[in-house]
Amino acid sequence: MFAITLNEYNLPYPEPITSPIHPITVHFVIAMVVFSVLFDFLGHFQRRESFLNVGWWNLATATAAVIVAVFFGQLEAGFANYSKSVQPVLDWHTVIGWSLSAILVILALWRGFLRYRNPLRLNVPYLGAGLAVVGLVFYQTVLGTQLVWQYGLHVKPVVEASRQQGGSP
Amino acid sequence: MNDVINPTVASDLGLKLGVNELPYAVPIHPMLVHFTIGLFIVAILFDGLGALYGIRKRLGLRLNIGRSTLFDIGWWNIASAALCTFVTVIFGYFEIALATPPVGIKSPWGFTASQTMLMHGVGGLILLGVLVLLSIWRGFQRYRWRKDKENQVQWSYLLAGAVTLGLMFFQGELGAHMSADFGIHNTAVQILRAPEDSPLKKCDIRTNCL
Repeated sequence: MFAITLNEYNLPYPEPITSPIHPITVHFVIAMVVFSVLFDFLGHFQRRESFLNVGWWNLATATAAVIVAVFFGQLEAGFANYSKSVQPVLDWHTVIGWSLSAILVILALWRGFLRYRNPLRLNVPYLGAGLAVVGLVFYQTVLGTQLVWQYGLHVKPVVEASRQQGGSP
Repeated sequence: MNDVINPTVASDLGLKLGVNELPYAVPIHPMLVHFTIGLFIVAILFDGLGALYGIRKRLGLRLNIGRSTLFDIGWWNIASAALCTFVTVIFGYFEIALATPPVGIKSPWGFTASQTMLMHGVGGLILLGVLVLLSIWRGFQRYRWRKDKENQVQWSYLLAGAVTLGLMFFQGELGAHMSADFGIHNTAVQILRAPEDSPLKKCDIRTNCL
């Protein structure tokens, strides 16, 4: 077996990729989910077709993106410079991340069914569910931001320190 | 820390700053960039798909999406991106103003932390201007110049969008260097960099010593 050399960020990527890929892939989940639900609300109450088009296609984009986001998220979590204090945050981020991938597939199927039946009409249960998912996405974003900016996962100075000490703070 | 006998920038500001040099637990700017980048890239992507819609026949695809639908996404997403970016830039500048970049280390591109921060700050303002101009241009195509045309976007607009994507890549990489290489506003990094006798060394990473 060849040994895998991790770079200065504790990641297995070849040059020129240095820092994590997961934080890039999540752009397309976070922004698209939030702006899908926002435009669905506007479109539903103003009866505007173009807003409802944005609602559907942004959700479809988010659903495709979440699969990629979970893939890189799980990969990079596996190589994270670990510490005891980060564990609960990373655990929740993992559980919610996998859950969101299933939730977004279900939400997109539901949204797609409503669109197939009548592209100009949504219903209150769907909009309520959308709002709840937006809340979950926000919480997940805060957890992910904490992993980098509080605990320093894949952050070079913290990786260096944890390699020297055999554990990060 | 906020000792009046030893005035600091932090005490002069009158803000209750944490270990990360911010008045809150995690920086807000990195959460807002998700919206700027995500909305803009998806906007250009859908306008590109709309412009290339004619190809579907040659590919033997029978899509029932409707060309104007794709242009709806292109327009509303870039308009949203431009609006969001005002907030992204405001928080970016607030957090730059509170940062003390580390000295003497270099990014993978060979820039120091201060140089990276300066370029990211100026780059952010330029990108805000570009996104606003692109949105106005896109709005004119949609509501005036190409209102009745089947293809709502000009090729020159898509080219400008692609160039802006390139600018955004460099801007994003500079931001990533500030995060992953320099650890600016990073709680764990600030604790590591504090001198051995500093009270920061006893800080709990979870509470950010606020």
